[in-house]
Amino acid sequence: MKRLLISIIVIAILAGIAEYFFAWWALAVVAFVVVMASGLRGGRAFLAGFGGVALLWLVVSLVKDIRNEHILSSRMAELFSLPHPVLFLLVAAIVGGLVGGLAAWSGAVVRKSLF
Amino acid sequence: MRIVRALLLPVITIILIVILSRPMGALPALGTLLDPVNGWAANAEPVNTDFTLEFSLPGLHNPVTVAIEDRLVPHIKAADDHDLYMMQGYIHAYFRLWQMDLQTRAAAGRVSEVTGEKWVTDQRTGKKKNATLDFDRAQRRKGMLYAAEKSLEAMEADPRTKTMLDAYTAGVNQYIETLNYRELPLEYKLMCFEPEPWTNLKSALLLKYMADDLTGYTEDVPLTLLREQLPKEEFELLFPQRIKGSIPVIPEGTQYAPASLPTPEVPEEDLWSHLGAGNKQAVSKSGQMHTDPNYTAIGGAWEGATAMGSNSWAVSGTYTTSGSPILCNDPHLGLNLPSLWYEMQLQAPGINTYGVSLPGAPGVIIGFNDSLAWGFTNNYRDVKDWYEIEAIDKDFYRMDSVPQPFEKRVEAISIKGVADYIDTVSYTVHGPMMYDESFQEPTVPGKNLAVCWMAHRGTNELLSVYMLNRARNYIEFTEAIMHFECPAQNMVYADRAGNIAMWGQGQFINKWKDQGRYVMKGNTSATLWGENIPMTENPNVLNPPQGYLASANQITTDTTYPYWYNGYFYDFRAWRVNAAVKATGIANVEKMFAVQNETYSVLAAQALPVMLLTLDKTDEHTAALGAWNYYLHAEDKSASFFQIWWELFYNKVWAPIGAMTKGVMKPSVERTMQLLQADSMRFREDLLSSYRMTIDSMAKIEGAGGGDSAAQWYKVKNTSLTHLTKIGAFSYKELKIGGWGNTINAAKSTHGPSWRMVVEMGREAIRAYGVYPGGQSGNPGSKYYGTFVNKWVAGEYYPILFMNDVEKDKNEKVKYTWTVKPLNKG
Repeated sequence: MKRLLISIIVIAILAGIAEYFFAWWALAVVAFVVVMASGLRGGRAFLAGFGGVALLWLVVSLVKDIRNEHILSSRMAELFSLPHPVLFLLVAAIVGGLVGGLAAWSGAVVRKSLF
Repeated sequence: MRIVRALLLPVITIILIVILSRPMGALPALGTLLDPVNGWAANAEPVNTDFTLEFSLPGLHNPVTVAIEDRLVPHIKAADDHDLYMMQGYIHAYFRLWQMDLQTRAAAGRVSEVTGEKWVTDQRTGKKKNATLDFDRAQRRKGMLYAAEKSLEAMEADPRTKTMLDAYTAGVNQYIETLNYRELPLEYKLMCFEPEPWTNLKSALLLKYMADDLTGYTEDVPLTLLREQLPKEEFELLFPQRIKGSIPVIPEGTQYAPASLPTPEVPEEDLWSHLGAGNKQAVSKSGQMHTDPNYTAIGGAWEGATAMGSNSWAVSGTYTTSGSPILCNDPHLGLNLPSLWYEMQLQAPGINTYGVSLPGAPGVIIGFNDSLAWGFTNNYRDVKDWYEIEAIDKDFYRMDSVPQPFEKRVEAISIKGVADYIDTVSYTVHGPMMYDESFQEPTVPGKNLAVCWMAHRGTNELLSVYMLNRARNYIEFTEAIMHFECPAQNMVYADRAGNIAMWGQGQFINKWKDQGRYVMKGNTSATLWGENIPMTENPNVLNPPQGYLASANQITTDTTYPYWYNGYFYDFRAWRVNAAVKATGIANVEKMFAVQNETYSVLAAQALPVMLLTLDKTDEHTAALGAWNYYLHAEDKSASFFQIWWELFYNKVWAPIGAMTKGVMKPSVERTMQLLQADSMRFREDLLSSYRMTIDSMAKIEGAGGGDSAAQWYKVKNTSLTHLTKIGAFSYKELKIGGWGNTINAAKSTHGPSWRMVVEMGREAIRAYGVYPGGQSGNPGSKYYGTFVNKWVAGEYYPILFMNDVEKDKNEKVKYTWTVKPLNKG
């Protein structure tokens, strides 16, 4: 459990840094590598990737959204036909989390096949 | 097997990432957009952003100061012209880059490049067509790029405008170079393209885009069809060149100097193209297109040709409380976001000016400087004529019986995701053959039509802007506007010395009577355009005895003006502006605010009593209409009733006329009203049936949900500020504003007052006020995106801060400062 939590936090932090310097898909590389290193398996690996990226996206978008007084999140929510701006943040976090989770799970599978 | 299993998940992950990084049909690239680090949230501008900046700019000659107000209006002070325009380019790009980029791409016919294909069903033919490609082809074929290239040459030939453009372009590009993906305007992330370097040509394109917007409208084809099908007397009765009772822009009685050019004789040969031949059956079939009772429930569909327009007037100091002249202007343009306009002050040695600029072009277009103020309304004299070309084959056409080669211009239109579309446009002595077999004119498909258009000429309106911004008196004003050839504008003037003036300015042709009113034969030199009328002979007046001057797109002169011209003139607002300005008696700025926002409908006041009388019946609706004061107030339901009734009546009564041009053209609303007043019983049947349809329409509107209040005028007409992508979430709908095209406050569905300005040019001080529907920031994620919208709706104004010295003056409104230093390359 502790390993999972640490992985989530490490993925969130490193993915944020990697995205800032490269592009959004850098989060997948981070999730992949972190899980390879941590040795998490299967469902727990997915959770680490999903949780890490979703956490990152949620925190970053919340911070920016609050400073923006929800001007843009409201417009984005309307654009995606969502009834509430928070729902838009959640949907975005799930999309990011899905990519992070799959990348992390990939890391676990590749590790298993190598070692 | 193990290897396959080990690879399966990573492959799925990579595929998912690839899918999310690319746009899918109408959807943007979701991964890139939804990512809060680099995507959408990077554009969520903190509401307390500190806009103060200190930076260096390569190429700058000296330090520049920019004082920025709390509502984000920048005041630039530079040490020379170069630095001034470089900074203006940088600031335009900083706040409005995507808009500049998209508008100039649209001007050049390059929209397909960023949007790809967009298939829709053609309303007329029922066939599928790629609407974006058709738009791009139309832009190319009407010669937009060709025209911009010629004007660019003219602008770069003058050292003043060359400096202006070069510095402006450098400034825009300096800003573009600082951007990484995260910092791109949101729309780039949504539409998945990136900015390209700015060029002087792009500014030229933007100016031609305005010329097209303002002089692109023509009636040559439908008038030709109507003239062929109607008896002469009826045609002249329905389509007079001058509306009875019109109050011209230049007051009646103004003395015009005799023409320096002789009046050209109307050539004796057959001059007109016969478009209707073999076409008659087609027009009579498509008769009843506008009789659907639901038709009026859609605001945008009935703006018609009167969508564009503007008001301006100046009141002499003799008739103002302060004794100083007041100048007012509200140009009516497309209501889009980001707004077409960007407000700013420009100061450098020899120039101190304030007003609205066009993001994409240097200078201040409408505004005032420390000596004088100016405003524009569209002049609407016809400067765009059509010629039917007698093509011999693909390569030659006949001119005075001699074969002439077409000059071919190949236009390669790139389309996102598919191969380029190659279009070849044939140029004739008249101009580009816009319509032919491959690109058909909708009302007369298959005809070879070439267009001769003032906007095709290589002209330097930017020099006028340069000189206007610096002009110190009336003489310098007139010198400045002599370079303003197209789009022709009625230019209103007021100065601190107490003068007011008006010019119907532009480059016009000395035409023989009716030349260019109808499609002309393109195979004879008898129909070619003649000499330019010297621009100093354009209609003008200085300090008229009536003490004020007003233009609202009506005819420029009375019949004493020595040159013949035609045009697309409107009278309702002109009638009302003249009456309302006179009625103010002694004017002040507050009274001028009221006039600009007035919604009194001359059409309703003159037509409705006659309509009710002819109807000869009473019920609750006629009672309400009878008690109505003819103001198109936002919440008024009588306004809705009247406008719908009028529209249904108008379309019904002219359905047979409309059928002759496939619904393109009907007699003007002004003319219709006058015919109704002259002989109302003739229209009784159509009035009655349209009245019953109106009751049905109103019931439908009220029954469709929203109940009783759904019939309020502002909901029926739906004035909207629409984002250039048409994304609803970035737009404002159903703004609670009154008025219509026939009132001074011409807030229609998609067009309206794009900048309201009132300036009192006092000897001691300038008092200026302004507001436009939008905000200084083009970013939908900024709180400055729609800052001015509510004020504009409410008819309120911002007092304008005009600084004597941008660097030294202290003012509490100035909240941020940019300190920009030259970056020495070394």
